[in-house]
Amino acid sequence: MFEHLLNGFGVALQPMNLLIALVGCLVGTLIGVLPGLGPTATLAMLIPLVFSMPPATAMILLTSVYYGSMYGGSTTSILVNIPGESASVITCKDGNQMARQGRAGPALVIAAVGSFIAGTFAVLVLTLVGAPVAGYALNFGPPEFFALMVFGLCTVASLTGSDIVKSVVTTCLGLMIATVGIDLVSGAPRFTFGNPFLQDGIDFVVVAIGMFAFTEVVVTAMEVRAGTRAEVIKAERIWLTWEEFKYSLASIGRGTVFGFIVGMLPGAGATLSTFIAYNLEKRICKNPERLGTGDIRGVANPEAANNAASGASLVPLLTLGIPGGGATAVMLGALMMLDITPGPLLFEKHGAMVWALIASMYVGNTLLLILNWPLVNVFARVMSVPAKYLMPIVLVISTIGVWSLSYSSVDLLLAAGAGLLGYYLRRNKYPIEPLILGLILGGRMEQAYRQALIISKGSNLIFFTKPISLTLLIGAVLFLFLPALLARAKQFQAARAVSAGAA
Amino acid sequence: MKGSTRARLEGLAILLVAGGYLWEAHNVPDLFQMPGVPGPTTFPYLLGIIFALTGLWLLISPADLLARRRQPAAKERAEKPPAPAASLSARLAAQWHFYAMWIVIVGYLALMPSVGFPVATFVLLAVFTFLLGEKRWWLVGSLALVVTVVIHLGFGKGLNVRLPLGVFESLLK
Repeated sequence: MFEHLLNGFGVALQPMNLLIALVGCLVGTLIGVLPGLGPTATLAMLIPLVFSMPPATAMILLTSVYYGSMYGGSTTSILVNIPGESASVITCKDGNQMARQGRAGPALVIAAVGSFIAGTFAVLVLTLVGAPVAGYALNFGPPEFFALMVFGLCTVASLTGSDIVKSVVTTCLGLMIATVGIDLVSGAPRFTFGNPFLQDGIDFVVVAIGMFAFTEVVVTAMEVRAGTRAEVIKAERIWLTWEEFKYSLASIGRGTVFGFIVGMLPGAGATLSTFIAYNLEKRICKNPERLGTGDIRGVANPEAANNAASGASLVPLLTLGIPGGGATAVMLGALMMLDITPGPLLFEKHGAMVWALIASMYVGNTLLLILNWPLVNVFARVMSVPAKYLMPIVLVISTIGVWSLSYSSVDLLLAAGAGLLGYYLRRNKYPIEPLILGLILGGRMEQAYRQALIISKGSNLIFFTKPISLTLLIGAVLFLFLPALLARAKQFQAARAVSAGAA
Repeated sequence: MKGSTRARLEGLAILLVAGGYLWEAHNVPDLFQMPGVPGPTTFPYLLGIIFALTGLWLLISPADLLARRRQPAAKERAEKPPAPAASLSARLAAQWHFYAMWIVIVGYLALMPSVGFPVATFVLLAVFTFLLGEKRWWLVGSLALVVTVVIHLGFGKGLNVRLPLGVFESLLK
């Protein structure tokens, strides 16, 4: 394993790849800093650019952008009280309080240090468990893979939305869009309505850019018109005392471990991990009443959790081919476009690429720490670029991203349709991530389903007779319905308590 | 619009889409279907049925019905008379920026291949920046021009993306 990792470092430290990692970290941090442009939209926009790159270089760029955006998101949370991306929402609580108390510097430094420790831990665990998990998954046949994908979709649907039915709607919609085009097994054209441009299917990049980038442009534009921009606080002392570091070290450790465990679940993602880690921290730590009032542990813990979860979400992506959320789903799509199928065979077939990617994550983490520490005020200044100039440029670059896929006007119209639909879904609390994940996994899921049915001679019982697939399907059902059932039970208990009190 | 009415309308729309999807799946020619082997319609049928069921659920909204059955009288008493809905023209006037933005985006995506990237992008940047509150026409115009040229050179020449020249193409000929 360490020999592979050393070879990976050999690739990752090549001057070109090092430069790509640096650019990716910078771009990612800038995107994380800018409210309104999330990592998922940015990764989708970058995909057409990575076509011409070698797979390892392409993945180094995408992961460094992803990691960078996670780092950058904390800066806006602390200095402006606006989370750069959803995983930094919790950081606002204590981070902005610290900034208002004149301690923006230590808050930013602990965010960078906590992220570095957690990110490095996550990559270390990925190094150790990646290949063994992939080796175990080699035992999976079509029924197990189908059940695994159902499990992944159900967890994403359950954890990204507040209403299960709405999550199932968008998941189905994504899977249905994936069936458009020529069926690869029989050659039958499906849902093409005689349009030759639809025979190749609908590219997920078109839908992802439409649903994430275009809608984010409009949402941010409306916020700009509403005039909801806050004051940027400047960090004076960009340093951390030994006492402050010692005080937050245990919180970083707990955030890292909880973040990693939650981040491993498909669909949980970085955002959920920060909420869970912070709530657990409140129950476990000494003097929990200080959290929320500008306590440095309130920054260290969620920042560690969010970066540990980002690294952890690559474990199911690389070993099982199941992404953890929107950003990793886009990465999965990018890998598939580069003719690399993530899953158990990835470590065997494309070992050099995987180990280079893992090595580049160590490098990326170090680069991010070096960049974030001294340059934090420079990044913060980027926020003063008015969104009214920035958003139209994002729109044009997103359009080029769609156009460059196949130079087809149909793609542009589909992106427009996806944008309008995405905006409606977003406004009405339909989660978009399950749709994108369904669209990406749809083809493989149908293939596994049909192969399983061929093995069983058409009987759907095969999914319930194999222990692994049965366990995964039970897990999927539990993930889908348990949160709603628990919420109902809570409501029922509360209502009973009220009626008992009245009596 | 009330949440439950919206959910019902969404349910109806989903049912219609599911119906259309299942109908299209049904229309896949039989010659692609081999006996004893799951064909190109097996998975779409499964998806269409699940999608239709979710639509049906939203249309019926059983949770809403149950809640009404539990407390019909109390709820009716508590319900205030609905506020008079704003007219369509009033809503359009209040949110014209929003509609204008989407019209500009969709127009840009639909017309860019024929009008050409330079002209379409210049117009998009100028109009969008104006819609976002920048009223100084000289700044809007010069910014749109500079950004169009930089992006065109960066992507067209730097990254070899074939951007349509549209009207400029015929002018050059």
